[in-house]
Amino acid sequence: MRKLTIRAAINEALRQEMKRDPDVYVLGEDVGVFGGCFGVTAGLIDEFGPERVIDTPITESAIVGSAVGAAATGLRPVAELMFMDFVGVTLDQIFNQAAKMRYMFGGKATIPMVIRTACGAGGSAAAQHSQSLEAWFMHVPGLKVVAPSTSYDAKGLLVSSIRDDNPVIFVEHKFIYDMEGEVPEDLYTVPLGKADVKREGSDVTVIATMAMVHRALEAAEELSKEGVSVEVVDPRTLQPLDNETIIESIKKTHKVVIVHEAVKFAGPGAEIAAMIADEAFDYLDAPVKRVAAPFTPVPFSPVLEKEYIPGKEKIINAVKELTA
Amino acid sequence: MALVGIIANPASGKDIRRLVAHGSVFDNIEKVNIVRRILLGLQAVGADKVLYMPDYFGIVPRAVENVHLKMSVEPLDMYCEGTQEDSTLAARLLAEEGARCLVVLGGDGTNRAVAKGSVSVPFMSVSTGTNNIFPCMVEGTIAGMAAGFVATGLVPVEDVTFPAKRLDVMIDGEAVDLALVDVALYDDIFLGSKAIWDMDRVKELVLTQAKPSNIGLSSVGGMVIDRPMPQEKGLHVLLGPSDSDEGFVVTAPVAPGLIKPVRVLEVNEISLGEEVSFDLSPAVIALDGEREVEVLPGKKVSVRLNENGPRVVDIEMTMWLAVRNKAWSPAANEEVSFYGSSGHNA
Amino acid sequence: MAVEKEKLNWMYRNMLTIRNFEERVAELFAAGKCFGFVHLYVGEEAVATGVCANLRKEDYITSTHRGHGHLISKGGDLNLMMAELFGRRTGYCKGKGGSMHIADVELGILGANGIVGGGFPAAVGAGFTAKYKGTDHVVACFFGDGASNQGTFHEALNMASIWKLPVVFVNENNFYGISLSQKRSMNIPDVAARAASYNIPGVVVDGNDVLAVYEAVQEAVKRARSGEGPTLVECKTYRYRGHFEGDPTVYRTEEEVREWKKKDPIPRFETRLSQMGIMTEDQMKQLRDEISNQIEEAVKFADESPWPSPEEVLDDVYA
Repeated sequence: MRKLTIRAAINEALRQEMKRDPDVYVLGEDVGVFGGCFGVTAGLIDEFGPERVIDTPITESAIVGSAVGAAATGLRPVAELMFMDFVGVTLDQIFNQAAKMRYMFGGKATIPMVIRTACGAGGSAAAQHSQSLEAWFMHVPGLKVVAPSTSYDAKGLLVSSIRDDNPVIFVEHKFIYDMEGEVPEDLYTVPLGKADVKREGSDVTVIATMAMVHRALEAAEELSKEGVSVEVVDPRTLQPLDNETIIESIKKTHKVVIVHEAVKFAGPGAEIAAMIADEAFDYLDAPVKRVAAPFTPVPFSPVLEKEYIPGKEKIINAVKELTA
Repeated sequence: MALVGIIANPASGKDIRRLVAHGSVFDNIEKVNIVRRILLGLQAVGADKVLYMPDYFGIVPRAVENVHLKMSVEPLDMYCEGTQEDSTLAARLLAEEGARCLVVLGGDGTNRAVAKGSVSVPFMSVSTGTNNIFPCMVEGTIAGMAAGFVATGLVPVEDVTFPAKRLDVMIDGEAVDLALVDVALYDDIFLGSKAIWDMDRVKELVLTQAKPSNIGLSSVGGMVIDRPMPQEKGLHVLLGPSDSDEGFVVTAPVAPGLIKPVRVLEVNEISLGEEVSFDLSPAVIALDGEREVEVLPGKKVSVRLNENGPRVVDIEMTMWLAVRNKAWSPAANEEVSFYGSSGHNA
Repeated sequence: MAVEKEKLNWMYRNMLTIRNFEERVAELFAAGKCFGFVHLYVGEEAVATGVCANLRKEDYITSTHRGHGHLISKGGDLNLMMAELFGRRTGYCKGKGGSMHIADVELGILGANGIVGGGFPAAVGAGFTAKYKGTDHVVACFFGDGASNQGTFHEALNMASIWKLPVVFVNENNFYGISLSQKRSMNIPDVAARAASYNIPGVVVDGNDVLAVYEAVQEAVKRARSGEGPTLVECKTYRYRGHFEGDPTVYRTEEEVREWKKKDPIPRFETRLSQMGIMTEDQMKQLRDEISNQIEEAVKFADESPWPSPEEVLDDVYA
């Protein structure tokens, strides 16, 4: 099958959905002529014009907030927030407006909008351009949080996110944009709330998100040489979380390591671990392990940043601790 | 004592004519700047006391904030309603205090409100409003100096001021209001947002001035006479609906940026003391471009041309006379240096 | 300004309805029938009325924490509003929103808002929809003097201006952001002056004169519908009650309140209506009684309505 980078897969999802539904439009900083800070929206303006691919000023509250108003009145905006770190300046529009309108209004408002945003460390972009803040949004009722790790998932999940009638935070890890994977040319969907087993195994379950899925797969490959069979589960959607697939895997392996790039304390893994404790305690043979970033801002120097980002070795060590 | 009054209207320059026409926006920060320059001009020529109308924004106190003034600048003891009555009351109080010149910042509407309080003290009117015929566009420094010359008596008041006319508005014979430039009979029953832009509702005009170079309703007068109107005359113009074919049509700048065809049915010169009666009621009377007076059903409105308008300072004449009379020279005043504190070594 | 008699009647009825509703809510709140935070609109009735008299059903409004007046003016149902204040299942939001979150998207009411300045961007978004879909719908975005110090105000005006969106920004300047007077919260007297920074016309009107508001907003709406872009209309007004019910209002003088009550928009309008022969004193009295009955019916409806069942807490989080 044809291979596309994650970047191109997202671009294709946008293009195909915009073609299919005239109510879908794209807005954000430099998304038009410039093609997006990470090139994700490249070429869309040529195909759909500046009326549907809208370069906004640097005005995050108005980008997200106007999308809320447009969504409430019948459109399906896809807003790009250049870096996930910038959500801070528009947080009110996300968690007090978009997320709650439906509930506050007794179910009478529908806010079908997507906020695409790039997370992740790895390029010495330092503390304000590298964070993984997906846990913030998992904590807010009314939002859905999507975090793909492959080209196939990225396209299918984005199509589902655009078609979903709720505000969706679509998190893209900026250091896997160039990873290639097989992507069908036709429109298809990957359902929200459905995890994917990226590698089957029987000894330990590693639950990993976004870029960490690939670190986990590398670790699994290496561990297999030592006779340890690792199953890698990618939740793909963090809210709603696919408890069932996770529990099914644990029933098989009885051991679990959770890996994410966000800081460990109150990170997404904390919720997953708590869920496992609640619902799968009896299947566990060992405590739940978490591999995640330390509780610090993202550092600048490549040496420090490398230490910050969870790597393959840390995953291997965690698995070994459980299998020793 | 050379006492000067300052009435700076914080509300001028913001009404709906910014929306329905293209009136200039006069924000109050600029008014503060202008007042500051006026104060410096006043002090430079020897005015020693300023009393001013307090306002909710504090235009004059803010103007004083950043300059070192020797003369006394004090607020009048009055309660501010935040309406045009403030200007009227301030003018009356300033006249009672013995002010020898009133510096007025606003448009025609503000000057009208001030004239309602006093016409005896000469006006130095600086334009910061919308339709400005009565006040003039003048640099504040010069306005301050001219007002100072008049107030100190360094130039004789009678030589540098001229009397303006006014229009008294009467309902059932009783004077209720006045205008300085124009009175319009407006076919409506409510004042609404006050400004006038729908000329089809203007039925009659009575004017103290008729100049094609004016902005506002009095420009209509300027378009229908073929020579300048004598000082002792006024004009009464009857208008018709734009879609009729009676009379004739002139094109007039009735508001800033708003140039409209106006159908004129009849034009009559009126003399001082002459009264014009309106037939329509209920109706609304606009004074100097703003709907101000509601005429209840059955009430009769008349307008009388009156020669006792405010005296107005002629700035150019004042400055020439000051120079000719050697009324003032910078060297005589150590507090003022136009050449900077380090001196000027030419 | 040609205003049909019917419209004048509607304005009067609407202002009375708001006044009556709000005063009744104050009593009900004191009696423990309504809960949470309630911000009343008493004194500001002319603004919402004058604005909404220019709007059609398909036009939009965004509202504020002091939203009852806006909702009533845009056609909100009194029974459903009151039931919501009572926290009942029959309320506008099934008891999930309360005073600060009433909405009726069908009527174009995009919601009251508990966050000061929270509604600006949504108003811009609704205006964007109108432009995107090529309709001539307009959006009236209500906000207070305090909200104009929020970043969203500036972002929204800028965006509405560069995209020429059909939004009328209606500032209800009641001179206080909770306890802080405008004098201490901004160094300019007119919120309208801020429009100039965004190349938007900004005008000031007497917010206690329903006809002045009506006429100014009429022009702004005309401008918006014809694609010429946004306008800021600042309406100077005053709230008679505190910021919220229970506010001791230590930050203002009784004299100030007295002076403003002299400019009460309702008696002012009544005088005009009777002087100009639009309505007789008898007709006004009849209307007052009628509205009073209507409010009592709403109270009765709310009081007799069922509470939500506890398990409903889980409903309506997601579509």
